[in-house]
Amino acid sequence: MSTPISELLDAETVQSIADEVWPTLVGDGEAFVPLPVAPPAEAVSAWVDIRGPWNGSVVLTCAPATAAALTESVLMTRPPTVVDDEDVKDALGELANVLGGNIKSVLPGESRLGLPQIGSAPPTGSLDDVCRVAGQWRGQFLTITVQGAAVAPHAERIEEKPL
Amino acid sequence: MRALVIDDSRAMRRIVGSILTDLGFEVREAGDGRQALDALEAGGKEGWVPDLCCIDWNMPVMDGLQFVSAARANPGYRQVTLMMVTTESETGQIVKALAAGAHEYLIKPFTADAMRDKLAMLGLLPEGVAL
Repeated sequence: MSTPISELLDAETVQSIADEVWPTLVGDGEAFVPLPVAPPAEAVSAWVDIRGPWNGSVVLTCAPATAAALTESVLMTRPPTVVDDEDVKDALGELANVLGGNIKSVLPGESRLGLPQIGSAPPTGSLDDVCRVAGQWRGQFLTITVQGAAVAPHAERIEEKPL
Repeated sequence: MRALVIDDSRAMRRIVGSILTDLGFEVREAGDGRQALDALEAGGKEGWVPDLCCIDWNMPVMDGLQFVSAARANPGYRQVTLMMVTTESETGQIVKALAAGAHEYLIKPFTADAMRDKLAMLGLLPEGVAL
């Protein structure tokens, strides 16, 4: 089993990366604030997988309305322009991609970054293989989770071998 | 000045394109390396050769590194400046991209000023743009 993420990364590092990403990608004066608020009834996640000495995902989770607002901010759209579902998938995915790429860079060894995915968050592995920063953006629930893969890739390959 | 922005994210193409347009570039877009090679070929036929390509690394179909290698292998694109614009920030990745033929490297997230500084360093700021 590889070293759990809790021994490789801390919440302060994730927050410092978010502090850099928010003003440059989401907009001037924008910030991801690490003060948890109540989770929404419905949530959407965007994530990128990291494969290397540590295997897992960097997951961004928020309410659909927050995802739409984030998209408007990333795209700098102004009314009456309306963002569509493809815009939201794209912008939220890019946000996860930039967060993931920067988080990958602080992990030891050479790793590969996957392409962004959108949907329900992938299942987590062991509980100690999770680093989560629960916070808010413009007062709305938003979390950044760095979580180990539920099943290591090499284990999947072994299980797929015919007996 | 002309620029081709290559990124699978429409949002990022829009952000990079907007910065370059503000700096006076005429901008075209491609969603992956394959589309970018097609755009270069099609552009060449109509006399539209970019001065600059801004290239994401992780893209479907053909990634940024493969695009850089393919573009560098074509003598017709020798004058095109290739700048990686990517989240891949480890030294090893930067070395790999420069060894493949990229001229410059800009790590996401970046500010408009950071991009302008890189372009100034490359001598690619259109006339009249203040440093």
